[in-house]
Amino acid sequence: MILRTTIYCIKQGIINIKRNKLFSLASVGTIAACIFLIGLFFAIVMNFQYIVKNAEEHVGITVFFDEGTEQARIDEIGKQIKDMDGVLSVEYTSAEKAWEEFKKSYFADSPELAEGFKEDNPLANSANYTVYIEDISKQSSYVREIEKIENVRNVKYSESAVSTMTNFGRFVGYASIAIILVLLAVGIFLISNTVMMGISVRQKEIKIMKLIGATNLFVRAPFIIEGIVIGVIGAAIPLVLLFVLYDRVVDFVMSQFHALSSIVSFLPIYSVFVYLVPISFGVGAGIGLLGSVASIRKHLKI
Amino acid sequence: MITLDHVTKSYKEGTYALNDVNIEIEDGEFVFIVGSSGSGKSTFIKLLLRELQPTSGKIIVAGRDLSRLKSGQAAKFRREIGCVFQDFRLLPDRNVYDNVAFAQHVIGVSKKEIRKNVPPLLTMVGLSEKYRSLPGELSGGEQQRVALARALVNKPKLLLADEPTGNLDPGNSWEIMKLLEEVNNQGTTVVVVTHNLEIVNAMEKRVITMKKGVKVSDTKQDNLIVRN
Repeated sequence: MILRTTIYCIKQGIINIKRNKLFSLASVGTIAACIFLIGLFFAIVMNFQYIVKNAEEHVGITVFFDEGTEQARIDEIGKQIKDMDGVLSVEYTSAEKAWEEFKKSYFADSPELAEGFKEDNPLANSANYTVYIEDISKQSSYVREIEKIENVRNVKYSESAVSTMTNFGRFVGYASIAIILVLLAVGIFLISNTVMMGISVRQKEIKIMKLIGATNLFVRAPFIIEGIVIGVIGAAIPLVLLFVLYDRVVDFVMSQFHALSSIVSFLPIYSVFVYLVPISFGVGAGIGLLGSVASIRKHLKI
Repeated sequence: MITLDHVTKSYKEGTYALNDVNIEIEDGEFVFIVGSSGSGKSTFIKLLLRELQPTSGKIIVAGRDLSRLKSGQAAKFRREIGCVFQDFRLLPDRNVYDNVAFAQHVIGVSKKEIRKNVPPLLTMVGLSEKYRSLPGELSGGEQQRVALARALVNKPKLLLADEPTGNLDPGNSWEIMKLLEEVNNQGTTVVVVTHNLEIVNAMEKRVITMKKGVKVSDTKQDNLIVRN
């Protein structure tokens, strides 16, 4: 009997959607608009965090050695740093390479000025490692560790870049949570209003059901099924839209702003959708469910 | 079947819908509750359906003390009672067959059983030809007959009818009354709330008269008094 009643309730929920076409369309539209905004924002936030993360990974710690440190010892220090947890990569710049790069940067227009230093590399003690780490917010603790290593003369890092990026990343994180919560609240409010409108139209039907002897669950179940189905459809529409739009928008941004393409890269659609699909369906079904449950509650008191 | 023991129903404003009412209705009886507007007739039906709770006193229907019923039990209790209302209360988007079958779906009867149970009732109320019609396509009398079929399909022990002829012409009113009498003859207790005194007088059944929330007469008791 429970199975029979369950099947009946599911059927009724789906039939209700067809019966109340206008109400169903309004609800689907409301949820779709809400999830589209959430999805859009989510995709922007994910890409933003990806870009910040990429930028963070390019902020390095520069490690200099004591004067006269032999190459073998330098190699050893390099290995020691590489073995630290969370170190992404270690790049070595020899004194010669450092001088070459310096020349390129500062004497590119008048190379004859650099000729004076031909036999005497002014950056003889500038051999260094550039260390890239996973979590830039932990940079100062890495610096302390590296400073303890024997023959390490100096460790340079950009404290302001680190704190700016960390703070900015944190701000974006909090802001995104706040905006998504506001969107969710707006979504639940809108859908419960729409469901409430639909229910007030069907108040008579609910009362008849109750007087005939329907349990609260029996009355509620079709509305819940209806809410979930509407929520899932409402989530599927913006997902399809976002899927179609995502690559086009990324291509457009890259083609319109050439300068950006060398600095930033966007996440592939798969990386965004692997989170966005379950979130959207969850949010859609959740909004539908909550909206239905909240709106029907007061009509059951007979 | 029904016991009202010193039942009072009052509202916040201090008005009394029912005031210290005592009524006893036996199994298989046919009873009319009559009275003018504001006499407490509708409150009486609402109390029996547990739509309302009394302010004081005890109500027992079909062996259940309604004040002790929890809302989950109220649903099961209502399945033992059939109700017919003045405004029919049919589902406008479902046809005659589905409106009657709906009461069976509510209690979890299988489709096969429903197909067996509904047609005889539609025949009994004279609507077997119109099983596909929507309520809006039927006359008032026909709609009330659908409501009656729905009220009877779960074989209730008690049938409550709240002004069942209130929206009907005399011809249809009589047809409904004949059907109610037929149901009563098959053993169902029938309680009809009405202000149609012509029908009440013609039916020669027990009549309880209410006025301003108080029971002012009961033909059964009056007869007893006469006999005593």
